[in-house]
Amino acid sequence: MMRSRLDVWAERSARSLARGFGRRSFLARLGGVLVGGAVMPLLPVARAGGPSPSDVNAPEPDGDRGDPTKCEYWRHCGIDGFACACCGGSASKCPPGTEMSPVTWVGTCRNPADGRDYLISYNDCCGKAFCGRCMCNRNEGERPDYHWFRNNDINWCAGAEVQTYHCSTAIVLGVATERQPEK
Amino acid sequence: MAVPAVAGDAASMPPVEEDYVLHCSACHGLDGAGANDVVPGLGGVGEVALRPGGRDYLMRVPGAAQSPVDDARLARLLNWVIEEFGGVELESPLTEHEVGRARRAPLRDPGSARRALLDDPQPGP
Repeated sequence: MMRSRLDVWAERSARSLARGFGRRSFLARLGGVLVGGAVMPLLPVARAGGPSPSDVNAPEPDGDRGDPTKCEYWRHCGIDGFACACCGGSASKCPPGTEMSPVTWVGTCRNPADGRDYLISYNDCCGKAFCGRCMCNRNEGERPDYHWFRNNDINWCAGAEVQTYHCSTAIVLGVATERQPEK
Repeated sequence: MAVPAVAGDAASMPPVEEDYVLHCSACHGLDGAGANDVVPGLGGVGEVALRPGGRDYLMRVPGAAQSPVDDARLARLLNWVIEEFGGVELESPLTEHEVGRARRAPLRDPGSARRALLDDPQPGP
């Protein structure tokens, strides 16, 4: 099956990082998930009849610094909500019993481990009441409501089967060559 | 109304795939499949682009017209989406000038416009 151009872009992105930063760079280790048409599994989306988060076996990136239960965790630069790592899930996966919303917003955060900017998708996990733990509200790169495509106040669970918000993930989609917010 | 835009020339633009991930994938999905009944999939954009009024629709749909990229970059992105997800390589690709003119009037009711274009009873915004 011909690979999509997104697959090719993801692979090229991962390989250039591996060349520039060596095998121990964050995305080089993550590259095992990105390469080979695996971009989609980095973003497990729930849609009618489609794959669910439990179908995804993406490894957690090891070596990226910080504690995903903390608001200061590098991927949380644009978050507004409860960190799913405190709620039975992780920075990349929803807790059991919740559904990852298929619609969200995407921003960028800088990884201090390699100084690179990464595309971060803040998918909400839905279907259970508020987690209530690790409320984080950093808002870097986020925009007001009239720029809804960059806004983190919207209940992104609007696209889920059950729209009750539980917590927020911060999923790495790839390298960003342009840091957000755009100039 | 001036659209907040990132100036770009070909040499300084990020990869078009990055633009798709950042400006489109959050709703339309990394695979272009859309989301339930909330967001349409992109599989039909090739057909839309070839229909009378279809090019205009694609440039004026709010997610495109209001995206924070300049006209050249939006034209590049739309042409890429039409080919990547719609399977159509336009003989006459969308141009920067064409996009700049069209996006000044974002559609206020894109769902109705799409259904009229496709004569499609599918529900959606």
